[in-house]
Amino acid sequence: MLAVKLRLDGLTVAAVSQRTGLSAPTVSAAWKAFREGGWAAVPVRPRGRLKGQANVLDATVQQLLWDALYAGPAADQPGWNSAGLAAYLRDEHGVELTQRAIEHWWESERLKHEPWPLEALAKQRSQRGRWYRQSVAPLFAKLEQAEQRWQGGVRKVAHPHRLVYQLYLHGPRGRLWMRCYQHPPVASDYLTAMGALSSKGPVALVFHGAWFSASPEVTAWLAQQTMFWLVQVPADSSVAS
Amino acid sequence: MTSLTHLQRLEAESIQIMREVVAETENPVMLYSVGKDSAVMLHLARKAFAPSPPPFPLLHVDTRWKFRAMYEFRDKMAEEIGMDLLVHINPEGIEKDINPFTHGSAIHTDVMKTEGLKQALDKYGFDAAFGGARRDEEKSRAKERIFSFRTAQHRWDPKNQRPELWKLYNTRKHPKESIRVFPISNWTELDIWQYIHLQNIPIVPLYYAAERPVVERDGALIMVDDERMPLEPGEVPMMRKVRFRTLGCYPLTGAVESDADTLPAIIQEMLLTKTSERQGRVIDNDSAASMEKKKQEGYF
Repeated sequence: MLAVKLRLDGLTVAAVSQRTGLSAPTVSAAWKAFREGGWAAVPVRPRGRLKGQANVLDATVQQLLWDALYAGPAADQPGWNSAGLAAYLRDEHGVELTQRAIEHWWESERLKHEPWPLEALAKQRSQRGRWYRQSVAPLFAKLEQAEQRWQGGVRKVAHPHRLVYQLYLHGPRGRLWMRCYQHPPVASDYLTAMGALSSKGPVALVFHGAWFSASPEVTAWLAQQTMFWLVQVPADSSVAS
Repeated sequence: MTSLTHLQRLEAESIQIMREVVAETENPVMLYSVGKDSAVMLHLARKAFAPSPPPFPLLHVDTRWKFRAMYEFRDKMAEEIGMDLLVHINPEGIEKDINPFTHGSAIHTDVMKTEGLKQALDKYGFDAAFGGARRDEEKSRAKERIFSFRTAQHRWDPKNQRPELWKLYNTRKHPKESIRVFPISNWTELDIWQYIHLQNIPIVPLYYAAERPVVERDGALIMVDDERMPLEPGEVPMMRKVRFRTLGCYPLTGAVESDADTLPAIIQEMLLTKTSERQGRVIDNDSAASMEKKKQEGYF
């Protein structure tokens, strides 16, 4: 209803969308409904799931998800994304799960990681802003396609019951890919993920959480790459916080 | 008349102990391990004898395996305060290249710390040595007196300790015997942090949480401080936000995951913690009562 009121005040669909947080099609649909049927026709529905209707995944399905995350995806994939996991569960175990359900489960298991707003650093007059302009921006200028720009890292997940080290990657549009380990990832784990990324063409990866310069295996591999660029997020730059 | 706060009482007690030692002994020395307790001890010593500098030198028994940040801090402090800093490294340890990796923590500690300390005390003829040990650190330190008497061979007998009733200290000793004195024995780790905060005492940055390269060894987070740290095949150190509650030789000192990057945050963390800082020291877990055994042999 607020969206319609704002439209009546003369705001554009884009402005209303920005102010209310609703998508542009939703604003347009509400406006259209108002014009055709007045206030009574404006669809106002309660948002979100009602209390007590939370959809908790079955323990067996959760175990299947953990097994898959620990085992890793096919070699050509940098990690599991929600679509890949959904397809794997359906094809291998006959379990139907939506991507949304998997993403909710990631969130509940503290596996969800949000991408860093790297582009927002471009104009910051700070140490991290300078780092972005000097180390990341020139590379991103060379690799213009979203598919070529990745960010990721490694972390120990503060899981209440499991030992989880997570290698997370954010691809185009911030989509999350991940692999999980019960031990700190070793060079071959990183190289598998980076190898899968580099197999798709020129790629830049902004990475946080591993000290690769101490690993002869990773430094040797990186030295051989001509179409894969790794930019390490400096320690304590708070880029990754 | 205003009553003293608990920190002021502790400070007054420590200063009195330091003055007592200087008055009663001939050649005292302050052991300086570069940690937070040493920082507090140094601050107290400077207060006790102000405006003159403390009438004793500082002694650092170096194992060659301290964190780089500790060496930088030690040299900076020595320059700033204008006290004599004696650095002793066990020459036998250098000759045999004793290190925690190939020789293990027990031999490394014995040769580089215990023997090194005894050598230094003998070399300079010190009859009293101030140390920054505290009762709350470890159980054998809890039962040690403030004035801890050592034989001519620097051995400690926990069953033969002098009473210290009403804070009266008996400083008589036989020739060649020495005293280890612990002015901050009654302080807790929390007291130390509160005092550092109140008095704005400089400390090694390793005490503040920051992202540091670490590897896991038997459940402990060990910082990869230099290229001497051997990595397992394929191992890649992870950058994790950690800090140190205690500082020793870096391969033998475990970090804790923490976000406490300011003194108030560290104090807040201390208020909630239920473990001793010495849990991060590999050498304390060598065997049951290992600290007491080491102390009997002359360790601090």
